[in-house]
Amino acid sequence: MASLPKRIIKETERLVSDPVPGITAEPHEDNLRYFQVTIEGPQQSPYENGVFNLELFLPDDYPMEAPKVRFLTKIYHPNIDKLGRICLDVLKTNWSPALQIRTVLLSVQALLASPNPNDPLANDVAEDWIKDEEGAIKTAREWTEAYASKKDQKSTN
Amino acid sequence: MESKEPVETEVREEGEKKRFFSDELESSQESLPKFNQMLDSNSSFLFSNGRNDSEIEVPKNVESIDVSSEAEPEECAKHISVEDLRGIIPDIPLNVAKKLCEKYSGQEDGISLAVSQYFEDPPVESKSTNPIKPPEPTQRSLSPKMKKKDYGYRSPKRLKPSIKWRRFIGSLQVNAMATRPTIRPLKYGTELKIASVGGNIKASKLYNSSGSKKAAFASFVKVFDVQQNREIGRVPEDIAQILYPILTLDDFMFEATMIFCDDKRLSIGDNFIVQLDCFITSAIFHESTSSYRNNSFAKNSRARTWEGSQTIVETEEEIESRSRRMSLLALFDKLRVRPVTNDNKSQQDAEVIDLEDDGNPSELKKLDNEHGSLDDQHPQEDTMNLNQLQLFYKATQSVESLEKLPEMEPPKDTFKLTLRRYQKQGLAWMLKREHEFDKIPLSESDQEIDENMMNPLWNQFEWPKDMSWAAQKIKEGKNDELGHNDRFFYANLHTAEFSTEKPVLKTTMKGGILSDEMGLGKTISTLSLILSAPNDSEYLLNEKGNEGETEYSTKKPYAAKTTLIVVPMSLLAQWSSEFDKANSSSQLHSEVYYGGNVSSLKTLLTRTKNPPTVVLTTYGIVQNEWSKMSRGKSSSQSDGMSGLFSIEFHRIVIDEGHTIRNRMTATSKAVMQLASRCRWVLTGTPIINRLDDLYSLVKFLRLEPWSQIGYWKMFISDPFEKKNFKQAFDVVNAILGPVSLRRTKQMKDASGKKLVELPPKEVVVEKLHFSKGQEKVYKYFLDRAESSVKSGLAHGDLLKKYSTILVHILRLRQICCDAALLGTQDENDEDLRNSNQQFNESIDVANILGESKTNATKAETDMKAILANVQRKYPSEESFKNLECSICTTEPINLQSIMFIGCGHCFCGPCLEEFMDFQKQKKLELRCPNCRELFDSQCLLSLRLQEEGDPTLVPYNQSSKPAKIHSLVKHLRQLQDKSAGEQIVVFSQFSSYLDVLERELSDVFSKDVSQIYKFDGRLNLKERSGILRDFSIKDLSKQKILLLSLKAGGVGLNLTCASYAFMMDPWWSPSMEDQAIDRIHRIGQTNNVKVIRFIMENSIEEKMLRIQERKRTIGEAMDADEDERRKRRIEEIKMLFE
Repeated sequence: MASLPKRIIKETERLVSDPVPGITAEPHEDNLRYFQVTIEGPQQSPYENGVFNLELFLPDDYPMEAPKVRFLTKIYHPNIDKLGRICLDVLKTNWSPALQIRTVLLSVQALLASPNPNDPLANDVAEDWIKDEEGAIKTAREWTEAYASKKDQKSTN
Repeated sequence: MESKEPVETEVREEGEKKRFFSDELESSQESLPKFNQMLDSNSSFLFSNGRNDSEIEVPKNVESIDVSSEAEPEECAKHISVEDLRGIIPDIPLNVAKKLCEKYSGQEDGISLAVSQYFEDPPVESKSTNPIKPPEPTQRSLSPKMKKKDYGYRSPKRLKPSIKWRRFIGSLQVNAMATRPTIRPLKYGTELKIASVGGNIKASKLYNSSGSKKAAFASFVKVFDVQQNREIGRVPEDIAQILYPILTLDDFMFEATMIFCDDKRLSIGDNFIVQLDCFITSAIFHESTSSYRNNSFAKNSRARTWEGSQTIVETEEEIESRSRRMSLLALFDKLRVRPVTNDNKSQQDAEVIDLEDDGNPSELKKLDNEHGSLDDQHPQEDTMNLNQLQLFYKATQSVESLEKLPEMEPPKDTFKLTLRRYQKQGLAWMLKREHEFDKIPLSESDQEIDENMMNPLWNQFEWPKDMSWAAQKIKEGKNDELGHNDRFFYANLHTAEFSTEKPVLKTTMKGGILSDEMGLGKTISTLSLILSAPNDSEYLLNEKGNEGETEYSTKKPYAAKTTLIVVPMSLLAQWSSEFDKANSSSQLHSEVYYGGNVSSLKTLLTRTKNPPTVVLTTYGIVQNEWSKMSRGKSSSQSDGMSGLFSIEFHRIVIDEGHTIRNRMTATSKAVMQLASRCRWVLTGTPIINRLDDLYSLVKFLRLEPWSQIGYWKMFISDPFEKKNFKQAFDVVNAILGPVSLRRTKQMKDASGKKLVELPPKEVVVEKLHFSKGQEKVYKYFLDRAESSVKSGLAHGDLLKKYSTILVHILRLRQICCDAALLGTQDENDEDLRNSNQQFNESIDVANILGESKTNATKAETDMKAILANVQRKYPSEESFKNLECSICTTEPINLQSIMFIGCGHCFCGPCLEEFMDFQKQKKLELRCPNCRELFDSQCLLSLRLQEEGDPTLVPYNQSSKPAKIHSLVKHLRQLQDKSAGEQIVVFSQFSSYLDVLERELSDVFSKDVSQIYKFDGRLNLKERSGILRDFSIKDLSKQKILLLSLKAGGVGLNLTCASYAFMMDPWWSPSMEDQAIDRIHRIGQTNNVKVIRFIMENSIEEKMLRIQERKRTIGEAMDADEDERRKRRIEEIKMLFE
């Protein structure tokens, strides 16, 4: 396998040495462009106390191209679909090579804190959210409890 | 006759017309097809008979003939005179001649009988040794006891004591026509006889000078009824033509049997069908029995000059002998006797040499349709290309050599490297080629390899099953006739020689061609040969005992201990170091003969005690000394007296031997003149362009007789040009088979392993876009070139303008690299050197670019604003420090390559460019990665670093950075990131481009990151070896970049230390590029090889790629004829500008 660009090595080192609170990202042993990521649900959000597993992949054209990020843990969120795909501008059109893995993950965390049902990816969820925000938030809490509770996670560090 | 006459004249005229055009001197070969064609044109009679009764010829002079059968032979009998005999055998004693005349006078072929009698039975003993008396000339009546095998008055047993046996070769169904009425119907199976009447008509009366016949032969060849001994009919003209010249010879026997006459009595003009069984007799296999063979082909061909005019008139005998040869060929053709070939697949295709070759194509087609297609191979072979040609080599020789050749270990005391298995085999083979038999382990099998090679002029034939009338009717008859039981016989159809034994081609030349594929270690193999047999041991032995040895009487002193190796200059150092690596004996040493370092080679080699084992020199030196010498003694006596040409070497080796492929060049001529006893050619590509490339090698080797251009032309060039590939290649193979050895990387050795396992190689074409400025310049020159080509095409003088167009093309190619190359004279550019036209026009690129300046005013004002903005943000030198590039996270940014955009953010230049490329490719807006503000890719700033004082911000002119350099820098940077201490080769054909690259790269990379080397034709020998040595040393702290001129370093060099290569520009010939890549991808390479070829999109380079592709498929080998080449060149130019 072709060796990694300096930037990726640098970023990886920094993620380990200077981690973002509430976020972990570790490269896979076999493929250093593939990261296993956990994000803690932000406080005062329906996802509070949840720990969500994600995967992140750096394509060959990274950093010209955005990393690919996906939720592995089930989550009830208007901008995240059943398959865990995330609707987030910096992962799509607003990507800039000045952004990094760390900033992207922070953006994802921010997305959990402020769902945006007006730009939905999961249409049914977004509808619920608009019709009955409280009910939706409740469901989100239940899901977090059911799928992302800290106890069930193996990697709770 | 009436119906036939017009046809014949037409044919003859056609033959003559043809001759008019074929200005090459007539050779027997050439005339054969014509003759054959005439036969063919009549062949419809043979095959349509019985159906087309109306067309049957009616003799005009029917009424006059009613002669008794008794009188008939009398008529055709001929009196022979002593003069006649003496004309053939000048030395015949008078009394013997008289006796013979008496004896044979009155017989129809008395002369030849007499002659053979003379040769067979020397006159003194003739009476006692000849147990069977020749028949009395007066004997006419046939004894009724004479049976089937006793054919009239010419029984072989009685007439030809020399004929020991005869064998059946085929039968013809002849549609004969009655010339005499018969009283009763002739029975099925009636024994007939074919005989010639009219006696000795001079050959010149029958044929005109071009070999076409003048007279109708049908009136000379008659069918006789044996029982009644009277003429009954005649055979058709085409058959008569064949039979007449050979009917009276001992070599052939014909038996005729009536098989169909409609069961009624024959009237004049009636048709009847005769089976004609043909035999050849033992006489044909004896040398010198048959008179026409004495006029051997070789003598004829040498007597006439090849290029000369047609003024030399054939003698009577020559016409006669030729007519016989042609008859023979035609007979073989009619009988469908075809040579046996080893190759099963082509067996069907194998043609009797040249028979169908020059004929009227439509006629041929017709024939083919009637009798199965003979010419099926033509469409296939028309497209035979270079690759196939090389396959052809491979298939024929060297595969078996890997199994059969013994391996031989070179002596340990002189050679210290270890050879691979196939190299050991190569060594054994080379020693054998030098007749150093005592040095090789004996093996029976290896001798067969060259002993079995059949002389290419000969063909092998299989005796057909005896289907003759006699054999079918009387079974036991067969046994009598079989003189021997061989399965095959051999014939040389060019000279009409026959043999029952396989004619073996023997070569006495010492040396050969080692044409192993590139990278198989030809150098090492050769060195092992030199070190195994450093001197001419035989000569040295003789010399001790016999001082005044005259066996090799040359005027030149003999350097028996020295091998001369001629190499291209770039390889001189490599050979020298390889020799030192291989040599383990302190006694043996090498000397480089270059640049006047040796004052007298003659003294060094012949007078000193321990002369160098190897003298290394270059083609340039050889050519130089030769031209000095041939210019005249006066200019430089010393060179002529003491240089390379003053000595006979023990052995000469020419490396990259295809250098001499054009025998008209001075280098080639010079090399041919070098004297030595063993001669070797090393080349991985024995054929570069055409089959004739091989001729130069053969000539250098002095491989008789092929080194005579006449032979080569006749047996190889001419057939090849006539698209008779099979023959040409067969001959080439037979010539080169014994003297050359070729192995390829793909071949497997005896244990089934590939000879060489190389790591995989990847060649990627990377298409690049012009930068804005480049595009403008390119467009400007493209327009001019196109209009020039268009006018050339319109006026039809495209090729006259060839050199102008080449200049145009060259300019475009230069712009693809870098507009800075325009106007530079490039020593390495062949196109320009070949044209006399100088490239004088001044080219002001700035001017062309200037056209756009007025439009650029808006951009200029923008730029000013940006400059002011950025300057405000970075007020001092300090502020340039510790900047981070957000794209690659490098910190601080290298100020050499820093780049600022409108918003004031800055990045590494390459990062920013990569970003801009990426966005452009995705058709996205250009926004600052940091602040997302839109920016203009045309308004960039860079820093100008000054020796003293602060660095200043200057507008960055993107158009000055050509795309290729840009991309190269990008790749190099990536490699630096990826792996430390990589060695990289960058090829270009323009040495001025190498200069540009050197400058640009050293601008971009600092000295502690990369080391740049440049290797081109301008370097002298010492510098070359120094550079190669330095480059090959791995240094983990630095990237080493070798800028290599394709012409200076494309061949021979070993650069396996590198595993990356960049080809900056495409070359016309793909093989040249392959060669260059093989510098890296060869034995010793342990890593995967990656090659990137830069090609500008939508430019002439893309079209050059297409031409390369075309060359690969069509094959340059096909460029045999000049017209074709011109056509192709025009097509190529069209392709470039379409």
